[in-house]
Amino acid sequence: MEPFHYLLVLVACLAVTAPLEWVIGARVYRRPRRLALTLAIAMTPFVIWDLVGIARGHWDFSPRYTLGLDLGGVMPLEELLFFVVIPICALLTHQAVLRLGARLRPHGRLAREAQHLGEAPATRPRCEEGARRA
Amino acid sequence: MPEYTLLTVLAVVLVVSLDLVVVRTRLLATLGFWLTLTIMWVFQIPVDGWLTRLDAAIVRYDERHFSGVRVFFDSPIEDFGFGFAMVLATLMVWTVLSRRSTGAEQRRPRRAAAGEPSSGIGVHRGG
Repeated sequence: MEPFHYLLVLVACLAVTAPLEWVIGARVYRRPRRLALTLAIAMTPFVIWDLVGIARGHWDFSPRYTLGLDLGGVMPLEELLFFVVIPICALLTHQAVLRLGARLRPHGRLAREAQHLGEAPATRPRCEEGARRA
Repeated sequence: MPEYTLLTVLAVVLVVSLDLVVVRTRLLATLGFWLTLTIMWVFQIPVDGWLTRLDAAIVRYDERHFSGVRVFFDSPIEDFGFGFAMVLATLMVWTVLSRRSTGAEQRRPRRAAAGEPSSGIGVHRGG
């Protein structure tokens, strides 16, 4: 099991946060294009930072606890997946916080923030179609 | 200053200025962001600990390149700055993209979307 140590913790993160989408009603996985674009834009600098850290010897990865699939011979596959999984967790958490907050207090601060972000149901009738028609 | 420490400080300053001044998403002024960050940091303790704990480290840090301060399960304290920057950057980009796709609609009157019963937050004025 040891080579799966890194991969397993990422799977655990996805498993723990999945109900935020499918029980609480966050809409992250159901916006795959926006998600992909967000990851590409927001995580590129962090992946570069990670590569710099590896190159400068700030950190390295234990071959014992990783699968051994090193991308470009430098970054373990799991490390790249880290920059996919953790932002997904953050987005799911944020949306769940806004939605739960708005449910608890429909006129409260979180409800306003949800609406401002277009995360409240009242603000989201088919945004892309609407944008095209407008 | 050790390089990882320096890069962490720079990243935090950069992301904060993007949020407040350049992109003006102003997530730092929202309750939702701080609640999200708190939850993410709490979960970062065991997750990062799993990666960094010295008796079975997956990611091995060179002591010369960070402050040397390890917290909880041997995580370099800089990791929490890295986490802060990652969370804020992610939510910031998502917010910009959301505004872009809903922006054209902002001025139009809104009606409750009948098609989304499952997410019933219910921001109904005078409902």
